[in-house]
Amino acid sequence: MATKNGRKDAKSGGQTLLAHLVASGYKRAEPPILQPAAVFLDQLGEDMRGRLYLTTDAAGAELCLRPEFTLPVSVAYLASSAAGKAAAFSYLGSVFRFRPDGSGEFLQAGLESFGRKDKEAADAEILALSLEAAAKAGSGDLNVTIGDAGLFAQFLDSLKLPASWLRLIRRGLAHGVSLDKIFEASPTNGSDDHSGVLAALEGADKQGARALVEDLLSIAGISSVGGRSVSEITERFLEQASLRSGPGVPQDKRDLIAKFLAVSGDPDAASAALRKLASDAKLDLSAALDSFDQRLNFMVARGLDPASMKFSARFVRRLDYYTGFVFEAHAPDAAPDKPVIGGGRYDRLLGTLGAKKDIPAVGAAIWVERLFAEVSA
Amino acid sequence: MSDSKLIVAVPSKGRLQENANAFFARAGLDVVQGRGARDYRGVLKGVDNVEIAFLSASDITAHLAQGSVHMGVTGEDLVRETIPDAASKVELLTPLGFGHANVVVATPQAWIDVRNMADLADVAAAYRTKRGQRMRVATKYINLTRRYFADNGVADYRIVESLGATEGAPAAGQAELIVDITTTGATLKANALKVLDDGVMLRSEANLVASTTATWDETAREAARLILARIAAEEEARTTREVRAFVPELSESKLKKGAAKFSARLRGRGQDGHVMLACPKADAPDLAEWLIKHGAETVTVGQVDYVFTAKNPLWEKLAKRLG
Repeated sequence: MATKNGRKDAKSGGQTLLAHLVASGYKRAEPPILQPAAVFLDQLGEDMRGRLYLTTDAAGAELCLRPEFTLPVSVAYLASSAAGKAAAFSYLGSVFRFRPDGSGEFLQAGLESFGRKDKEAADAEILALSLEAAAKAGSGDLNVTIGDAGLFAQFLDSLKLPASWLRLIRRGLAHGVSLDKIFEASPTNGSDDHSGVLAALEGADKQGARALVEDLLSIAGISSVGGRSVSEITERFLEQASLRSGPGVPQDKRDLIAKFLAVSGDPDAASAALRKLASDAKLDLSAALDSFDQRLNFMVARGLDPASMKFSARFVRRLDYYTGFVFEAHAPDAAPDKPVIGGGRYDRLLGTLGAKKDIPAVGAAIWVERLFAEVSA
Repeated sequence: MSDSKLIVAVPSKGRLQENANAFFARAGLDVVQGRGARDYRGVLKGVDNVEIAFLSASDITAHLAQGSVHMGVTGEDLVRETIPDAASKVELLTPLGFGHANVVVATPQAWIDVRNMADLADVAAAYRTKRGQRMRVATKYINLTRRYFADNGVADYRIVESLGATEGAPAAGQAELIVDITTTGATLKANALKVLDDGVMLRSEANLVASTTATWDETAREAARLILARIAAEEEARTTREVRAFVPELSESKLKKGAAKFSARLRGRGQDGHVMLACPKADAPDLAEWLIKHGAETVTVGQVDYVFTAKNPLWEKLAKRLG
């Protein structure tokens, strides 16, 4: 049977993968299969809940079968004496994600690198190692797509748009909404209430307006604000006021965003195109682009050929999670949502997990069964 | 499941039980509990081969999903929340007109900058960026919340399961906002919460629900058909009025046009010019006026107890699903 062979291939292929990662200095991490659920729900969001195999222990605490490795490996690293120092881990094992059709158990291998200050070199190493390991396990040729969430974030910042527009654009793009649709919506989304007050406050002395709204809230005796501070509420309320009569995102900036997102193809050519775009529009993207070019150099040094990869400016994977380099590798005929390898840099994660200072982190996961999907099918 | 009987689950206590019993009684079906109020099984007087199971509303939903009862009375909110892929397991046959409640998204009133779900999506994203934590939503409607928030682009939140007094969670510091059921909104107000403009996730009421996963043999089908026929007959009678008049001058085509105008159906027309129509309660006076204008001396409007029809929409809906 094809599937049976496929599974056997996956098992032995996984071992080959792991051996290569361990030999490259990535120590094997073996987090327990049963994990506290809270960390996954906190970090991956409630959408994950529908895919978790959840259970409760006798004390009522929520547990789950591990749906992935990065979080447990990160948590274990932070709890260890190595926390904050450079450390590299590999893993291999089952992950569990519910799906309505078929088994919810998948074999996943992967690698994580924490605490390295030479980010571009670490990025290139993760990409190179994961591709090498997959090739050793018999992956055949893979199509590699690369992107840069840090570059995109810096580009958005450089546009100097109002904060709520920025949030709207980020959220929209993260959900695959087209730019036109995003700009159609207004952050004030046409709600009429308070419009008179907002109009009156608009253009008023900022501090005075702020004091007024804060006073009104305190007169109303409102102290419980559900975890948001009165000044936060006031600030956003006034921000809405200033956006209300504003022209939205000016056309030239809209065009610029569209132009930026349209850049794709050969990574070196793309870098040149982005430099030109930045200098034409007088935006300072040099730090992010220097880092981008440096990363390409490190890839070449690791024996990779950037020209064989496809860069896409709009490819950022999950913008709320990834902070820099991102990549995916697909089998030639695979569906876009079924990469064999997916990874990237996530410098914010360890901080949100409780690290005292920011710890750089980059890693990749390999869906071992997908390596053998078409071989066995 | 006992063999060859249709099992109908009805709520075992409280207002829901009274209302459910009243609903069946209106259709001429008396729910008779076995000896004493503590018996969990009963029969439906008037229809053979029916067993009544008295269960809590949430148990009814679970049994419907498993197929261990054929039909039951339960809230739409419970069906949508607790049955994964509800459409493939149950069929909502008809709303029953009681047990009304809305499942709503409510935030602190003090959030004067938050009017709707789009605002909430924005605030939730900003909250997470600022604090590195997700906004907490207290609710027992985990699945409904997840779906509704996903549809509205709200991603940066975390559900805190709450099984009672959910509306107190924000004041107690256990959550930033809530998703809960409300009938009048008074409890929300008392807790300084407000419903977002587009924050009504579901307008729920009690429904007669059929399980499509139960074993439907001939006996069960026939019993269900009889029950649904009575329910449909009573509903038709209650919502329509019978209008009679003597209009010998009125042509067939004109009559049909008039009937269509008032959403009426022609139930009978005698050679002598007598006509009988059925029309929605609210349209009856206008239809009467129209008939007088077209030559009727007198128009009588009456209510009937039951209108049994050869075609039974409720049963057909179910039969179609059962195949």
